Amino acid sequence: MKKPASEKSRSFRRQHKLAPYLFISPFLITFLVFGFYPILQSLRLSLYATNGPKSHVFVGLSNYQFLFGDADFRTAVWNTLVYAFWSVFLQLPLALGLAMLLSQKWIKARGLLRMAFFSPNLMGQAFVAVLFGILYVPQYGLVNRALHPLLPRLVPLDTKWLQNPNLVMPAIVLASLWMYVGFNMIYFLAALQSVDQELYEAARVDGANAWHQFRAVTVPGIKPVAVFVLVTATIGSFQLYELPYLMLNNSAGPKNAGLTIVMYLYQHGFVTGDLGLASAIGWSLALGVLVLSLFQLRMTGVYKGEAS
Amino acid sequence: MNPKTGSTIGRVATQVLLIALAAIVLTPLVWLIAATTKGSNDQFHYTFFAPTVSVQNYVDLFQKTDVFQHNLLNSLFLASTTVIVQLFFSSLAGFALAKYEFKGKKLLTVLMLATLMIPGQLTMAPLFELLHRLGLVDSYLGLIIPGAVSVFGIFLFRQSIQAIPDELLQAARIDGCSEFQIYRDIVMPVSRPMIGAFCLISFMGTWNSFLWPQIILHNRDLFTLPIALSQMIGLYNQEYGMLMAGTLISVLPVVILFLLLQKEFVAGLTAGAVKG
Amino acid sequence: MRFFPYGKAALSFLILSLLSGSWIGWNAKMAASRRTPPGTQKLTFWVFAKAHYEAYRKALPAFEAAHPGVQVDMQLVSNDGLAARLQNSFLADLDVPDMVEIEISSSGTFFRGPLKDVGFADLTDRIHQTGLWDKMVHARFAPYTSRGRIFGLPHDVHPVQLAYRRDLVEAAGVDVSKIQTWDDFIRVGHQLTKLNERYMIDLSDSSTDNVETCLFQRGGGYFDPQGKCIFDNDVAVQTLCWYVPLVAGPHRIGNSLGGGQVLTKAVEDGYVLFLVAPDWRSKSFEKDIPRVAGKMALMPLPAVTPGGARTSTWGGTMLGITKRCKNQDLAWQMAMHLYLDKPQLAERFRQTNILPAMQEAWDQPAFHEPNPYYSNQPLGDTYARLAPSVPFQYSSPFIQTAKAKLGAALVSCVQEYNAHPDRDLTPFVRATLKENADDVRKLIARNPY
Repeated sequence: MKKPASEKSRSFRRQHKLAPYLFISPFLITFLVFGFYPILQSLRLSLYATNGPKSHVFVGLSNYQFLFGDADFRTAVWNTLVYAFWSVFLQLPLALGLAMLLSQKWIKARGLLRMAFFSPNLMGQAFVAVLFGILYVPQYGLVNRALHPLLPRLVPLDTKWLQNPNLVMPAIVLASLWMYVGFNMIYFLAALQSVDQELYEAARVDGANAWHQFRAVTVPGIKPVAVFVLVTATIGSFQLYELPYLMLNNSAGPKNAGLTIVMYLYQHGFVTGDLGLASAIGWSLALGVLVLSLFQLRMTGVYKGEAS
Repeated sequence: MNPKTGSTIGRVATQVLLIALAAIVLTPLVWLIAATTKGSNDQFHYTFFAPTVSVQNYVDLFQKTDVFQHNLLNSLFLASTTVIVQLFFSSLAGFALAKYEFKGKKLLTVLMLATLMIPGQLTMAPLFELLHRLGLVDSYLGLIIPGAVSVFGIFLFRQSIQAIPDELLQAARIDGCSEFQIYRDIVMPVSRPMIGAFCLISFMGTWNSFLWPQIILHNRDLFTLPIALSQMIGLYNQEYGMLMAGTLISVLPVVILFLLLQKEFVAGLTAGAVKG
Repeated sequence: MRFFPYGKAALSFLILSLLSGSWIGWNAKMAASRRTPPGTQKLTFWVFAKAHYEAYRKALPAFEAAHPGVQVDMQLVSNDGLAARLQNSFLADLDVPDMVEIEISSSGTFFRGPLKDVGFADLTDRIHQTGLWDKMVHARFAPYTSRGRIFGLPHDVHPVQLAYRRDLVEAAGVDVSKIQTWDDFIRVGHQLTKLNERYMIDLSDSSTDNVETCLFQRGGGYFDPQGKCIFDNDVAVQTLCWYVPLVAGPHRIGNSLGGGQVLTKAVEDGYVLFLVAPDWRSKSFEKDIPRVAGKMALMPLPAVTPGGARTSTWGGTMLGITKRCKNQDLAWQMAMHLYLDKPQLAERFRQTNILPAMQEAWDQPAFHEPNPYYSNQPLGDTYARLAPSVPFQYSSPFIQTAKAKLGAALVSCVQEYNAHPDRDLTPFVRATLKENADDVRKLIARNPY
């Protein structure tokens, strides 16, 4: 029952043409229905006020109007920006520093150290939050017990990290630093390993000191990865939610000091049941993230080349 | 900083600094383990371990809550099922994007890249409404179906499959393999390291996810571990040891998987960034 | 491996998925068949308070025995987000339990839309027909009433006293019977407080729990009976101006480290001497701080002015029957069994220290028994004596926001007072309260329903 060669190759060609559509269709259908359609739908929904998923009232742009006049929304945006700032300007330099130290060949137990730094990332944010909620307890908590002897004036034993609105954000930043510094370090380590060692030799022959080597060799060498880490860290920090929410005992904290945009969205959309307002908040969040990421890509000069 | 400028003192100092930092990073984890071994009213009487070690907290965890074992199983089921579904969808789509030309490929790639930049929270409200219409709220399908798509996974597979030489696939075609056989017998076996990494990354994603399960799940018998734990905070604020035991058990499966798949994991994590 | 080309790692995930999936499926099937043998009726009942849960577990077998073929599936659920989850279940037509206990401050959440959309059954007629209206403390119906209809049965009265470390207070030479008013209390507080070592009273400078008790004692509240937001009126301004210096500034006598284990340690160490103690909390102390048994005692809350009320209120629970409950009569009978059966209530009091809302029950022996934890004081009597003066509380769909806003105002005022302890606090308090109350009013005005 052997088919003639020409017919066989024709059936192959047809198969070859059809195959990609078949292969992509399970993904494509799910993506269009549950990923793409809701994006369009959220534009429409953001023009309605709703009481749960069943009842809608058309309100035009008043959801957006409400947002821009709402003090809590401003607080949420501000808190999120502050958190994003620290996760970029504190966390990433520290991660890079750690990676540079760890990438020295003569360091002993590199694998173990790398794992130690990375290990907190195996805990999800929710679990980290539960743990740190107890570590931050005043008077008896580990954080105060450890910091008080070192800085007796600055950190009294009864420092209320999670009850004092001025300390809530530092507490969140610290917990997130613990959790993510090793994660970002892994990226920088991989990038540093890909830098050509001979370039360092050449620079040294030219009499460059450590700083010049860093500027001339390391920075260009790790730039693509650094930009990737920068953009993903920024996008990630805009989605901050469960870390503060659970650390602050299922709340936004004193004076909303731990309120983030996503928490604000959750409260309005899924506690009050106003899905329309939640969509409007979602759009504000998405536009903010988009503008910021494009700005970052522009600034770092890697605007193109992603899609290729 | 480079290998040869560091003096001996500098080297020792660096080594000590790194060990000290690592110790600081590990301290909360040690405290966590210690907390699970302390009796209910001894939690703050000892900073770390109490003189006597008790397993009462672990016993309480399963007896007092009477749902914790369900939560654990629920999380295992959801995370592993999502891994399998995502793996199937992503590897097929990644293969198609890497090795075929078809209409709309460019548009699709751009669309997918755009969704990577858009935070998922944008679609939560309309998605909830859609799932409500489909009757999938408060069910695992409401988590698994929208979670079946991993754009990140597709890019991961596209990248690793692109590295497979076309000649290999062509040779298989000449041998009479169908396109699906090529996927099954050649492309997937070659991509196994990437599959290992993807499985762990995807598992961790579902295992740790909080916001969407919190929205979709209403019945406590369906709760996953992060949700269950968040509910335990208020209910058992006297039983810190038990709470910490719950946290530790929740983290353990991920740690075990990580130890098994460590090498592939790091490679997979950085593959996108370093090459992209 | 032809049929599964993804390798060992993925295969193990597949096996894990199948195993856990079939375990879940099998378990659900078992549970379903165990729960409802043919011909039985099942009542699902959600409880958020651990103490209630444990007490009801003992009380329910009697109900099941008296009603053959009826099974009660009681579940302990966390109060965090309970009201929101339930309200969303009502709105999205999801499965809801037949009966639920709801915390007083979230009861208002359910009254947002039109009356016909409230997920709870209207109990008004049943309450009047059965004469319950006259048997229970009227003040306790108020928070569960919306537009004249009652949607919940009150579980409790929750009068407030102060619990204190009798041993330490006596050792300091203080005679608590001389403390009649808050002024007396504060005077003693200044003697006993040593900053960062010992505080007179456990009072929070960030949560609303304590300040609202003080607000209620002075006749204030979040909302008036018509649902108007009133936490920026003169009473509230006075309350805050008085409260803030208790927890902030150089002459503070109160501090709160938090709840749970932290509180346990703080009381054991004598870090705080007095604690605000509604009846339910007096049982928490017994259970959570066993090491100070016999060293504790109770005293009525100091009065605002000489001769004023010596109590206030903190917390509360209602029992609601959902509209979706198929057998409302049966649910009502169970409610009667739990809330109105006198011998049951006496037994429950021993387990929870909670004074039931049904007054007739209070003359039973259990309410006069000496309590060894509190230096053999007759705990029930001390609370029952205060019950008639318990102030009213009113609820609103916006109660949660109002609470958060009052909390924010408190924190602002504490910060202001810490920065400028010498300035007159009144104008700042007035402006801050108004600003926060206006936020609540804005939200109320936005509600299209």
